[in-house]
Amino acid sequence: MDLDLSEEQQMIIDTTRAVLGEHSTSEVVRLMEDDPKGVAEELWKQLSEVGFNGLLIPESYGGGGMTLLEAAFFYEELGRFMAPVPHFVSCVMSAGVLLEAGSKAQKETWLPKIADGSAILTTAWYEPGRGQGEAGVALEAVSSGDGFVLSGVKRSVPYAAVADQLVVLARTADGVDLFLVDPTSEGLTLTFHQSQGREPHYRIDFDGVQVPAENRIGAAGSGWATWNTVMHDGIILQAASAVGGADRCLMETVEYANQRVQFDKPLGAFQALAHYMADASTKIDGGRVLVHEAAWNRVQGRSVARFAPMAKLFCAETYRETTRVCAQIWGGVAFTIEYDVQMFFRRAKHLQLSWWDTPYLEELVAADVLDR
Amino acid sequence: MNFDFSPEEQKFAEEVDQWLTENHDPVVMDHHRENFTQLADTPERRAFMKKLAAQGWLGMSWPKEYGGQEIEGVYEYILNEALSKHAAPQIGKGVGIIGKTLIRHGSDKLKDEFLPKVLHADIEFAVGYSEPEAGSDAANMQLKAEKVDGGWNLNGQKMWTTSAHFADWYWVGARTDPDKSKHAGLSLFLIPMDHPGLEVQSLPTIGKDTTNQVFFEDVFVPDDYLVGERGKGFQYISEALDLERFTMFTLSPIANRTDVLVDWVKAAQRDDAPLKNDPNVRRTIAQIVTDTAVAKGLSTRFVCAAKDGGGKPPTIPSSQYKLFTTSLSQRVCKDALDITGHEGTIMEGQDEAPLRGRFEGAYRATMNETVGGGSSEIQKNIIARRHLGLPKNF
Ligand SMILES: Cc1cc2nc3c(=O)[nH]c(=O)nc-3n(C[C@H](O)[C@H](O)[C@H](O)COP(=O)(O)OP(=O)(O)OC[C@H]3O[C@@H](n4cnc5c(N)ncnc54)[C@H](O)[C@@H]3O)c2cc1C
Repeated sequence: MDLDLSEEQQMIIDTTRAVLGEHSTSEVVRLMEDDPKGVAEELWKQLSEVGFNGLLIPESYGGGGMTLLEAAFFYEELGRFMAPVPHFVSCVMSAGVLLEAGSKAQKETWLPKIADGSAILTTAWYEPGRGQGEAGVALEAVSSGDGFVLSGVKRSVPYAAVADQLVVLARTADGVDLFLVDPTSEGLTLTFHQSQGREPHYRIDFDGVQVPAENRIGAAGSGWATWNTVMHDGIILQAASAVGGADRCLMETVEYANQRVQFDKPLGAFQALAHYMADASTKIDGGRVLVHEAAWNRVQGRSVARFAPMAKLFCAETYRETTRVCAQIWGGVAFTIEYDVQMFFRRAKHLQLSWWDTPYLEELVAADVLDR
Repeated sequence: MNFDFSPEEQKFAEEVDQWLTENHDPVVMDHHRENFTQLADTPERRAFMKKLAAQGWLGMSWPKEYGGQEIEGVYEYILNEALSKHAAPQIGKGVGIIGKTLIRHGSDKLKDEFLPKVLHADIEFAVGYSEPEAGSDAANMQLKAEKVDGGWNLNGQKMWTTSAHFADWYWVGARTDPDKSKHAGLSLFLIPMDHPGLEVQSLPTIGKDTTNQVFFEDVFVPDDYLVGERGKGFQYISEALDLERFTMFTLSPIANRTDVLVDWVKAAQRDDAPLKNDPNVRRTIAQIVTDTAVAKGLSTRFVCAAKDGGGKPPTIPSSQYKLFTTSLSQRVCKDALDITGHEGTIMEGQDEAPLRGRFEGAYRATMNETVGGGSSEIQKNIIARRHLGLPKNF
C-alpha cells in the first residue's frame, strides 16, 4: 500500500496548476460566467498544446494514452480552478463513448481532433421532466430509409454553441442508441439557458432531424450500456473535480479566517468556526483517497460499479457542505458577487445535481450491495 | 500508488486470518462485547494471547535486540485488524504503549524485566492517565508523587482505568514536580497492580464491561520504576498516544457491523415484503457503505503516512481517521436500529431481537468512542491548529 505519486503524476499536477494558475484566474472564470460560448479560449489552447485534451485518448489517435488515475489528478485541478472549458463533455464523455463503441471511421474522424482541441464534441442527454436513468431517454429516433429521424427535446446541453458534433442519446425501436449529430442540421434549434454553475447550457429542439445510419455509435440498442460504462469513468472525474473545488474553497477560507478580526481575535480562533474547517478538511482528504482508490481500481481492471458512484456521492456532498460552511465563515460578503466563495457555492450544488445525482448514485451503490 | 497490500503483507493477512479461523473459540471471541473484545481479561483470553505469542506475533515491530523482528508496523496493523475482525483480544498496551516507550526511554533494568514478559504474553497492563481533573486536559494530572528515600510516595486518584481489575501492572502518570509547568512536571511510573496502597473501584458502564477508578494511598514506588527521565512523562505519553489512536479504533469492527447489517437487510422481511426493497433502507445502506469506504481510505492514509514517516507519528491522518471513523461507528449503529425499527428496542442477548440485539448493544457500546482516546473535539482542535494553521482556539 502506498499513496505516493510517481514523478510523472506529480508533473501532471504541477503542469496543470501552472497552466490553470495563469489562464483560469478568477477574472477569466468570471468573464466566462455570462458568455454564451463560455470557453476560455487561451486556456483551451494551452490545454491542447500541453496534451491534456487527449489525456484519455490512446496515442494511436493522437492522444496521451494516460489512465483514469492521471486524469483524476488533472480533474482535481480543473475543479480547483473552476476551469471554464468543455473538457469533460468533449475529452471524457464524447471521446469515451467513441472509444467504447465507435466505429473505426468515427474514431479516426473525431478522436484526433478532440485530442488536439480542433474539435469540440458535447453530449445531449438530459430531457425536460425526465430523470437521469435509462428510462429518462425519450427523444425519438425513428428509422427511415438509410438513416434516422430525431424528434424531441434535450435540455442542459453544455457548450452546444461551440460544439462541432453532438453525441445524442435517443430512443429507437431497439432501446437507447447514441448518435453523432451535426448541430447545424436542419430542424435543430439551440436556445441558450443559464445554469447554476454558469456552464453555458442549451435547450435543443429536434424537429425531424435527419441523421445518417452510419452516425449511430455502436450496435443497435447498445447506447445505454455504452453510456453507463463511460459514465462510471466520468463520475470518478467529477468526484475528483469536487475534491479540488472543495479544497480550494477551504484553503481560501482558512486564509481569510486567519486575517479577519472580530472581538479582537482572528475568526479562526473561534472554535465553532475552526471545527467546521477541521471537519471539512477531514472529509476532503477522505474523499480524495476514495477517488484515487476508485480510479486505481479502474486502472487495475477491477469493477468500479460500487467505487465510482460512492466517490461521486461522497465528494459531491463534501463539496456542497464545504462551500456551505465556508460561506458561513466569510459572513455577509460571501453573499456578494464580488467575493469568489459564491462561485464555489453555486458550482458545488450544480456538480452534485449533474452527471447522476444523489438518489441515482445511492441506488447504484445500494443495488451493488444488496441485489447482487 | 497502490491500494493493495504487498504480496508479503497479503500473505501474512491470510495466514493470520486462517489461523484465527482455525483457532476460533466462542468463549474468547465474541462480537457482542464490542470494544471490550480487545482486552485479555479472563483466563481463556490470556491463554489465547499466549498462543499469539507462540506464533511470534507479539512485538514484531520491535528491534531484534529486544526479541522483535524489526518488521514494519504495518504488520501489527494487519494483525490487529484481523484480531478485531474476529472479535479476539488485540495486541495492545503492552506491545504498543508500554513496550515501545520502554524500548525508547526505559532503563536496562525495566527493559529486562518487562519486555520478555510482554513478548510472552505473561503480563497485562492498565494505563492510568485520566483523573477527575485530567480528562481531555491530560496534562492536568494531580496524582502526587513525593520524593522519599529510595523512591516515590504516591497519593491521589485516577479515573477511567480500564483493565485495573485484572491487570498485573499499572502504567501511571503522576506529578513529580509541582513547581514546574503543567507539562514538565509529570513522570511515568510502573506499579504492581496488587500494591496494598491501591484500591480499585469498579465503574460500570452502559457497554458490556466495566472501567475503574483507582485510589492511591501512600503507594511507594522504588526509584527504578520511574520510567525514563523525571519530568518527561507527558512527552512519552504524547508519543505513545499517536499509536494508541490507531490500534484502539481498528476499522474492522466497524466494517464488520456494516457487513452484518447488509447481510441482515438482504434476508429480512417486513410485512411479507423484502426489507431491502424499501427505498429508505436502500439509501441508508448506500450512505453507510460509502462512508465505510471513506473510513477505510482514511485508514490507508494513516498507514501510508506511518510507513513514510520513518517513525514520525502521523498525527494529522490519525486525528482525521479517528474523528471520522468513531462518528461513523455511532452512525452505523443508529441507522441499523432505525432499519430494524421497533424490534431494535429488544435488548441485546435475546433471541427475539434482530441479530440477537447486536445493534442494540453496539449502540450503547459505541457511545464513548467519540470521547475516549482523545475526543472528537480534541481531534478537531489538533487538525485546525496543526494541519490548517489556524490560531489556538481554546
Ligand atoms: C470506558 C472508558 C474507558 C477509558 N479508559 C481509559 C484508560 O484506560 N486510561 C485512561 O487514562 N483514560 C481512560 N479513559 C478516559 C478518557 O480518555 C477520557 O474520558 C477522555 O480523555 C475525555 O475526558 P473526560 O471524560 O474527562 O471529558 P472532558 O475532558 O471533561 O470533556 C467533556 C467534553 O468537553 C469537550 N472538551 C474538552 N476540552 C475541550 C476543548 N479544549 N475544546 C473543545 N471541547 C473540549 C470534550 O470533547 C467532551 O465533549 C476512559 C474513558 C472511558 C469512558
